[in-house]
Amino acid sequence: MKSTIKFAITLGIIGAVIGLALAVVWRITSPVIALQDQKALEEGLKAIFPGDYKFEKLNEPLKTTDPSGVIGDCFAVKSSNETEGLVVTITVPGSQAPIKLIVGVKKDGTISGVKILSLQETAGLGANADNPNYYVNKSDRITFTGQFSGKNIGKDPLEVKKDVIAITGATITSKAVTSAVKIAGNIAYNYLKGGQ
Amino acid sequence: MKKYAKIFWDAVIPNNPVLIIAIGLCSVIAVSNSVKSALLMTFAFSMVQIPSNIIVSAMRKIIPYEIRVPIFVSVIAAFTTIAALLSRAYFSAIYEVIKLYILLVVVNCIIIGRAEAFAYSHNIAESFFDGAGMTIGYGLVLTVIAVVRELLGKGTIAGIQVLPESFKPALIMVLPPAGFLMIGILVGALETYLRRKKEVRK
Repeated sequence: MKSTIKFAITLGIIGAVIGLALAVVWRITSPVIALQDQKALEEGLKAIFPGDYKFEKLNEPLKTTDPSGVIGDCFAVKSSNETEGLVVTITVPGSQAPIKLIVGVKKDGTISGVKILSLQETAGLGANADNPNYYVNKSDRITFTGQFSGKNIGKDPLEVKKDVIAITGATITSKAVTSAVKIAGNIAYNYLKGGQ
Repeated sequence: MKKYAKIFWDAVIPNNPVLIIAIGLCSVIAVSNSVKSALLMTFAFSMVQIPSNIIVSAMRKIIPYEIRVPIFVSVIAAFTTIAALLSRAYFSAIYEVIKLYILLVVVNCIIIGRAEAFAYSHNIAESFFDGAGMTIGYGLVLTVIAVVRELLGKGTIAGIQVLPESFKPALIMVLPPAGFLMIGILVGALETYLRRKKEVRK
């Protein structure tokens, strides 16, 4: 009995010390990490909507009726005062963990770009969705997310095996990303058509 | 110095964590399908294996035998988290690439295995060399397997096209089963080599 209490105390102290060490590291790194995330998001927005645009966060994220996707922050793409397009953040379930990506749509329904923000798919297979050196079309050097650019929400089916080339050995990931693009694209297009 | 060299060498070949002790197999199978992931995994592994060996060794006198395992686990989990946070804050470009591997390290049984079998009963310097040797031994096996799997599965080595385009890659080689095949072949090869060496000595 006595030793049980001793063990509990020892374990408690060691746990507290480790917890403290983690808290200190977290305290030091979290502002830097927040800054990095912000920078990554801004770079992402610029990458899928190249040009001299300003990105304004919508006060309320758009809603979807599709249960498989969760919509995050949306950004209106503005040049002077005109809304030129919309960027939608969407999270969908992947084969391992949720996949988060941003989809940029122009006023006419053309996808201006797709960028994956976080993904934890199988290394070497599903992770290729986010690999800048993995090409679904080797001769034209088109990456998996790159193939969405220029497709039209209203006109193209946006389905794997129809107009979207899947990643070898990663059908689930390919379908998840494609459906995310489709859901986010439709919401963005409806919003843009609705005016503002 | 000779003592440390022996500890290091023992950890690399005669006591190789993957091929002889046969632990940490799951991570070997998971990330050995490309040379790049093998090297990144080894790097992430070293960031936890070496500090955890040192800390466990430094605390070995105050860790009661009966509750050593939960303490080892906490130390390893703490180092994994610290490594992830630090690299995310200060090396965000590298973190983007190694984040998957860092998180996998926490469940790598080589680290807890070495805490238990070595660091808990050896001094800090010895534990450091054991940790370093384990990292090299682990990385070596991972890289050898990755070279074969990537070459046959994709026709490339570290992303560079080696085999001609006409070579049709065997998809099985980049999928997990090939990891088992390769580990089996290497275990057999190393075992044969070590036995021959023993016989020559006799």
